[in-house]
Amino acid sequence: MTPLLSVQQLTFAYADQLVFQSLNFSAEAGEFIVLMGVNGAGKSTLVNVLAGQRLPASGRVVLAGRELSAWTASERSRVISHLPQGTKQQLPFTVEQVVLMGRYPYADQWFESEEDRESARQAMQRMGCLSLQYRPFSTLSGGEQQRVLLASCLAQRPKVMLLDEPSTYLDIHQQIQCFSVLADLAREGVLCIAVMHDLNLALAHCSRILVLDKGHLTADFATCDAATNAQWLSWLPSELSVFRMTDGRPRVFYK
Amino acid sequence: MSAARSALWLWASAAIFLLAALLLPWMGPGTISLQHVLSKTAPDYPIFVQLRVSRTILGLFVGGALALTGSLFQAMLRESLADPYTLGVSAGASLGAVLTLAFDLDRIFGFPALWMGAMGGAVFVLTAVGGASWKRGNLSGIRLLLSGIAMNSVCFAFILLINGLAHDRRSLSITQWLLGSIDSVNYAPLLAFVAVTLFASVIVIRQARNWNLLAVGESWASTRGVDLRQLTLIGYACGSVLAAGAIALTGPIGFVGLIVPHLLRSRINPDNRILMPCSFLLGGVVLATCDGIGRTILAPAELPAGAVMALLGAPYLMWLVRRRF
Repeated sequence: MTPLLSVQQLTFAYADQLVFQSLNFSAEAGEFIVLMGVNGAGKSTLVNVLAGQRLPASGRVVLAGRELSAWTASERSRVISHLPQGTKQQLPFTVEQVVLMGRYPYADQWFESEEDRESARQAMQRMGCLSLQYRPFSTLSGGEQQRVLLASCLAQRPKVMLLDEPSTYLDIHQQIQCFSVLADLAREGVLCIAVMHDLNLALAHCSRILVLDKGHLTADFATCDAATNAQWLSWLPSELSVFRMTDGRPRVFYK
Repeated sequence: MSAARSALWLWASAAIFLLAALLLPWMGPGTISLQHVLSKTAPDYPIFVQLRVSRTILGLFVGGALALTGSLFQAMLRESLADPYTLGVSAGASLGAVLTLAFDLDRIFGFPALWMGAMGGAVFVLTAVGGASWKRGNLSGIRLLLSGIAMNSVCFAFILLINGLAHDRRSLSITQWLLGSIDSVNYAPLLAFVAVTLFASVIVIRQARNWNLLAVGESWASTRGVDLRQLTLIGYACGSVLAAGAIALTGPIGFVGLIVPHLLRSRINPDNRILMPCSFLLGGVVLATCDGIGRTILAPAELPAGAVMALLGAPYLMWLVRRRF
């Protein structure tokens, strides 16, 4: 069977600077993949290429058996939802209006239908921001804004979610909540790919970790295998060690 | 906000627009008798039809075009203080138009020279201001506004220069045009202007959903089905056509593109599907009313609509700046 998403010999370069080369991996529906690497390793660029926002220098991204470049922008938007990094905080819209933007790819009338509103309501409920729905977006705290943007991505009912640092501005409780929602979505059959830095949050919720280091994928493994070989941490200069918790899940500790 | 309530605002704005179109021609120095108009008696009938009605239509559509362009630039550039005037587009269009006045050009490529000149100036300034504010893939709001101020001064310096070098007769027509007044125009150019404005406005408003996405961010928009390059091109092209068309017929008029979208955004709805059509309709009403006030309060002298708009608009802008910075 063809995988939902497959990346073959993917290479990307800005003008004269190579960002990554010859990346290969494929991902199935239901996986929750975390993409890690130091700042500037090219994680966001890879996510942007997967989202169809940037064209690779060479190589292919294949989505559901069809090359990504062969999808039209609107076809793509009904399958992939993308949470970009650093969205402007002074948006003129209300929370509900931002979340309803997730329904635009399905729009066939001037205004949203009752069904679209219901979808948006469910997404807000799930991200815990339903009580904010009539507030202006610009009056929310950073964490609240991030949850609203996530709700908008959820309302899109995607098969693939690409999230660039979804836990930005979230406090620890909200981070855990956010990642358990994403893990639930993965269990429901959505492929989630998230860029993030928190090792333990990743180990606790995700099924697979990819490490992007110096332009190559240096590690690609299931989260449950993280404790057997700590070699995957070599991209981090600091002293870290991996232990297995009583529930069998691995955790990373700083020395 | 429910769809029903949003639709109500659209209908209400349309009703106000129609009401203004029906009532404003009756405003002005000297009363006009309805009976004389209906029986086509001079002088009431020709004054009403040739002067008042054409002037009201011009005011409504110029105000509409400028207010819509304001809300368009504000969404595209994600900067709530952007409008044809603050970005220097009005000044650029004026410079282009003044050049054609100074050289007594009548037609360029078969189109009215004033329009073509204004169009060229608008496109030139938009490109220059956009280019100066674009850095590492980002448009900065403050850079846009400051480059706009710079372009404003440069364009007006050239306008003064041209005006100084021009013949007395031409200089007079330049000065008159620069006042930013809504004067009676002949029906042929007026109808051409109305047609072009309606066409460009419909194109812009049809993309309302995409302007919403673009107002959040380019990355946000491009993964939600928007073709960024095409949308940006539509925005700049229609924005230039709307602003240049309006300015060619009236001279530079400020503030309407700033105040009307801003008030509607905070008081009615920031969703461009409502904001843009309402901006057009109510922007038209505001400018046509300013013109009505201008031709009445100092009668028989006239205060140009641009001056009335500035008297009302400048304090509002200062209040807005104070709230924001």
